[in-house]
Amino acid sequence: MFYLPMKFVISVQASPQSPASRRALKFAQAVLSEGHEILRIFLYQDGVCNATSIPVLPQDELDLGVAWAEFIQQHQLDAVVCVAAALRRGILNTAEAQRYGRKASVLSDSWELSGLGQLHEAIQQADRLVSFGGS
Amino acid sequence: MAKSLLVISRQAPWSGLGAREALDLVLAGGAFDLPISLLFLDDGVFQLLPEQKPEALQQKDVTANLAALPLFGVEQLYAARTDLVQRGLGESQLALESVRILEDGALADLINRHDQVMTF
Amino acid sequence: MATLHLLSQSPFTNTQLKSCLRLLGDTDGLMLCGDAVYVLNSAPELAPELQVLAAKGALYALEEDQIARNCIQEGVVQSLNYAQFVALCCQYDRVNSWV
Repeated sequence: MFYLPMKFVISVQASPQSPASRRALKFAQAVLSEGHEILRIFLYQDGVCNATSIPVLPQDELDLGVAWAEFIQQHQLDAVVCVAAALRRGILNTAEAQRYGRKASVLSDSWELSGLGQLHEAIQQADRLVSFGGS
Repeated sequence: MAKSLLVISRQAPWSGLGAREALDLVLAGGAFDLPISLLFLDDGVFQLLPEQKPEALQQKDVTANLAALPLFGVEQLYAARTDLVQRGLGESQLALESVRILEDGALADLINRHDQVMTF
Repeated sequence: MATLHLLSQSPFTNTQLKSCLRLLGDTDGLMLCGDAVYVLNSAPELAPELQVLAAKGALYALEEDQIARNCIQEGVVQSLNYAQFVALCCQYDRVNSWV
């Protein structure tokens, strides 16, 4: 069946170790390849840990942090990380690392830190909200 | 017209950040004057148990944040009767007075009345 | 106005499915991902609610999760790839992901 192009918001609430995060990425890729639009990808809860490429994985395993960053770059997507959820999980950018006196900024360039209002704003404009959490 | 969002909170208050982060999303929506509703389901109803002592676990009081809901304009608050009864919670002793108690048969309708839904 | 419910946890260790079934509306759909597809292993003795859904054509599963787990029950459930998953989200009015 064919559906008119729709605007999606994709919320990821699972850690990159959870199968739900990979499922979210595959879903997001299919949204675009099927001709729909992604208004925003929003990371919340443990999902914020998808916004870093710092973890070191065995070479033959899917590196989700890198895969997300490349996908966002390639399609120039709006990709936002909840700042409150990120701070408590150590996902800082340079500004936040300086502000709180932490040694490392780990946020990938593809993502921006912002507030929960960004999720609400996107939901207001979207036709569909699809979230991926848990396992 | 603004789109409505139903947040379903299924987690007990001191089992991790789930209850807290669900509530944060609801309060943020309220702060933006958005039509937002909150349903306590499954173990989420334990958030409504009065006189909890989170300081025993060095936790902040989520219940205090619940009290802020009406101040943020969030007035559509619901809990599932089945879950309250099953977990021994009396409807008259809930920490939040303005919660409407719903039978299971009314839950599908509640969800389908909202534009979007998010479960925690 | 119908909702697509998305489940991802095993029904044998988690109450997600049980809880979802009691708030499923007549026109709602159910999509199984991840370990939730293990419920298909109990076919043909699926829960009566799931049989009703399957008969209505409102029971779906993510094909890759079925393949990975060897939980392929032909004719019980509609197996979807990601493109079809996206189309399904368009078909329903909203999507509720259980966590």
